[in-house]
Amino acid sequence: MTTTTETPTTVRTRQTAAGKKPPRRQREGAAWVFLSPWVLGAAVLTLLPMAVSLYLSFTDYDLFNPPQWVGLRNYTQMFTEDPRYWRSVVATLTYVVIAVPLQLGLALVVALALKSMRRGRAFYRSAFYAPSLLGASMSIALVWRAIFNDGGTVDNLLGTGGWVNQPGWALFAVALLTVWQFGAPMVIFLAGLQQIPGELYEAAAVDGASRWRQFLSITVPMLSPVIFFNLVLQTIQAFQVFTPAFAISAGKGGPADSTLFYTLYLYDRGFVASHMGYASAMAWVLLLVIGAVTAVLFRTSRSWVFYASEGDR
Amino acid sequence: MTATAAVLALCAALAGCSGSGDSVGGGKVVLRYTWWGNPDRAARTEEAVALFEERNPGVDIQTSFSGYDAYKQKLATQAAGGDAPDVMQLDYRMIDQYASGGVLLDLAKQKSALSTADIDKGLLATGVVDGKQYAIPQARGTETTAYDAKQWKASGVELPREGWTWSDWADAMRALAKETGKPGGTDPGQSEDCFEVWLRGQGKDLYTKDRQLGFTADDLAEWWTFTDKLRREGAVSPAGETTQLDGTVENTPLGRGKAISDMNWDAPASGFLALVPGGVTLAPMPSGEDGTPGQYFKPSMFMGVAEDSEHPKESAEFIDFMLNDMDAAKILGATRGIPINAKIREAIGPELKDFDKTIDDYQASLDGDLNAPPQAPPSGDSALQTTFMRDYDQVSYERMSPREAAENYITEAKAELRS
Amino acid sequence: MTTSTAATPAVRKPIAWRRVALHTGCLAALLVMLYPLAWLLATSVKPADEVIASLNLLPSSLEWSNYSTALEGVNEVSVWRLLGNSLFIAGGAVIGNVLSCSLAAYAFARLRFRFRGPLFAFMIATIMLPHHAVLIPQYIIFNQLGMVNTYWPLILPKFLATEAFFVFLIVQFMRGLPRELEEAARIDGAGPFRSFFSVILPLTRPALITTAIFTFIWTWNDFFTQLIYLFSPEKFTLTLALRQFVDASSQSAFGPMFAMSVIALLPIVLFFLAFQRFLVEGMANSGIKG
Repeated sequence: MTTTTETPTTVRTRQTAAGKKPPRRQREGAAWVFLSPWVLGAAVLTLLPMAVSLYLSFTDYDLFNPPQWVGLRNYTQMFTEDPRYWRSVVATLTYVVIAVPLQLGLALVVALALKSMRRGRAFYRSAFYAPSLLGASMSIALVWRAIFNDGGTVDNLLGTGGWVNQPGWALFAVALLTVWQFGAPMVIFLAGLQQIPGELYEAAAVDGASRWRQFLSITVPMLSPVIFFNLVLQTIQAFQVFTPAFAISAGKGGPADSTLFYTLYLYDRGFVASHMGYASAMAWVLLLVIGAVTAVLFRTSRSWVFYASEGDR
Repeated sequence: MTATAAVLALCAALAGCSGSGDSVGGGKVVLRYTWWGNPDRAARTEEAVALFEERNPGVDIQTSFSGYDAYKQKLATQAAGGDAPDVMQLDYRMIDQYASGGVLLDLAKQKSALSTADIDKGLLATGVVDGKQYAIPQARGTETTAYDAKQWKASGVELPREGWTWSDWADAMRALAKETGKPGGTDPGQSEDCFEVWLRGQGKDLYTKDRQLGFTADDLAEWWTFTDKLRREGAVSPAGETTQLDGTVENTPLGRGKAISDMNWDAPASGFLALVPGGVTLAPMPSGEDGTPGQYFKPSMFMGVAEDSEHPKESAEFIDFMLNDMDAAKILGATRGIPINAKIREAIGPELKDFDKTIDDYQASLDGDLNAPPQAPPSGDSALQTTFMRDYDQVSYERMSPREAAENYITEAKAELRS
Repeated sequence: MTTSTAATPAVRKPIAWRRVALHTGCLAALLVMLYPLAWLLATSVKPADEVIASLNLLPSSLEWSNYSTALEGVNEVSVWRLLGNSLFIAGGAVIGNVLSCSLAAYAFARLRFRFRGPLFAFMIATIMLPHHAVLIPQYIIFNQLGMVNTYWPLILPKFLATEAFFVFLIVQFMRGLPRELEEAARIDGAGPFRSFFSVILPLTRPALITTAIFTFIWTWNDFFTQLIYLFSPEKFTLTLALRQFVDASSQSAFGPMFAMSVIALLPIVLFFLAFQRFLVEGMANSGIKG
């Protein structure tokens, strides 16, 4: 899948970067050439539909008849008249707080363990990734329901009763499905670890730094862009969790609304109840909330994320 | 660059397979026909479609199918995008929404191509919205109390019979639980369909003619109190079983071997055969205390034509073929339920085999005893069906009293029906 | 395998017990991790009355007919056709994503241009809107373009870098590369295009491979988009076809559905195994020495 056939040339680092810089306009032109596919896609396939959905959020739209302008009614109804909406908010926040740290922690620990391994790394990497190949398909959801049911494996081992059919436990069963599929962040961590130049560790070892010291002063800062990426993306995705809960609860978000996550309820409103205006309003509220959380993450990142290229910004 | 070459190859390949959405291909009229079902239904449908194409060389029919849930989502997106297929299969609950949304064609305009002479008038009327025939039912189904014949008989509890009442049913559930140690049946409290049967047994309806609620919070609270009591007694399935129902028979307590009976539609009940070793018998639904039957023959699948179809005449002819043609009927059998066309039902009845025969006999035993079906439910009903289950979850997990949950439901339903 | 170069920190030999503990821990974790997969495999050969109802891992008897039913395909479309369609879509998506996302990422990570900050923020924001909210507008656009029931709606967006996840991923990797690399290339007379292709791209290979792997798997499993945009059965994919075995309104065939899931899993397993080994080639052995 390489996009170039040239071999990487050996690059010599020079003390002074005395080369002539091309004029600003020329460099800016180059940037737009690189961006052109993205600009086209963003304008036609992303911005346009987003604008439409923003408009729909102020309308009553039943999918088939033309949308009717209702101003802020969808928003006020959501916040003041819909107890199920608030149940979905609570369920989603609980899920984010549980699933994100667990999944990222597990992915990082396994990635580090694999990194320090000399033999069998490829085997373990593949095996740990295997669950993530499945996605939250219908078959894996049925397997999950069997394992976490009354008299299923988990019940037999722990004596907790079934998880998928108790309102207090079902959310954990769904979260565990996500955590179980930690392959994506693990692979990203691994790729990040591979990018850290080995010389840094050699130099540190020569200086007599302990492995823990090396971890703190080399691995963590060098990996921080990737840790940050995983944190931001997994948080965004967790706020939008849909498929595992949809598959496990057969679209209902049960039992007793305990896994009725935000996007599940949004889907229910938009496509089952045909209130696409209301669903669009829900989507934009979610966008604002996720946007705020992400902005906070970006702000804190300045103090702990280290970019090797940052020198001349 | 290898990548560029790959892109070019890809573009060529994509271009090669585009453009099949055209309505005229090679001088032929192309109709798109979508429906939901399973591979068996697909095989029989394809065979019937091939026969139609053979007789009408100028028409090419492209078919496509998915499972029911996926189908609903796909059709809604297509219709909203102005891209509804020419001929589509519709459910009872979809008609009002699709008709009032201007998606469906008034089939009276195609009367010459599409005959409805042999279809029961009461059932035909279920496809009428605001005086226009937007869809035509293909088959009929009715609810049934399906039970594990071997276990029920072995328990010594009196078998269900026609005309049994809801209190007879409740007594049977209790007795079964006592004798077998398993709940007698699925908790019907979650099912809007069962509630409707119970309501109709009292002479009431889910919806009035002007598409408002036909019952009060008192009715619903009474129903949920009734089922919730049985659940607490262990006579019907516990909350943890009930909440896992997803519409497939495999996930019902009866299908999982956790109960003796299940209330379901007759056609999917065939799925129990592979799951229940003791065999399955179909019994009628319980009636009201004065013997008023609550169940009715429900048109199980409709066919409709898109309002903006470029070939309404050919579409109507195709529907006519699927509904009224004897050769088509022989191919299709009971794959969409027992045919609604009386002549065809009489002709193919004796040829039906296995469970199709069981269903046909079951329906024949009820023929003439049931009241006419209600008109198609208002469009809000597809959302309310899920709301009904969700609110009952609150009851069966003992988070709300039946009364609280019922009032909740009424509030939600009124909001849903207002819009 | 380049494990020796990659593990350079261990100049001192690690003590044997650490290795033993590490492997024991990993194996124990794997046992738990792979249990549901074993369940999936076992279910695919269970007889009909055990597929859902049984809470035992092992089937009471082996029902291979699930596989023969699945291999017959659905609706007169052979399983090979379905497989070919899935491969075509996933393959096209991989090429599109790797190409377009790396281009956009390079601009965001290493070049200066006006509105870079706001555009980057917008790009991140596009991942925050639940896709159900834009489904219908997108469908209308593709319908207007005459692309419904073709593979365009499934592949074209990937060539236009609409998956901000991957743009952001590659951006993060590119920002981790020292700026002197391009400075040096510039001194050697390379413009932005040459330094992108010959310096930056090779060094971000782990991110590109990651993009390729994820794109392939996620596109393969993306039931929803395929469902909406594909109409003709002969254009269907494995992921669509396996769901055709399940229909709540009639009889379902869960056994063949599970068998089809296993069949659909094999190509992505092979793809992952083929490409995951490139993940280890990072900067550590890409020819840069200080």
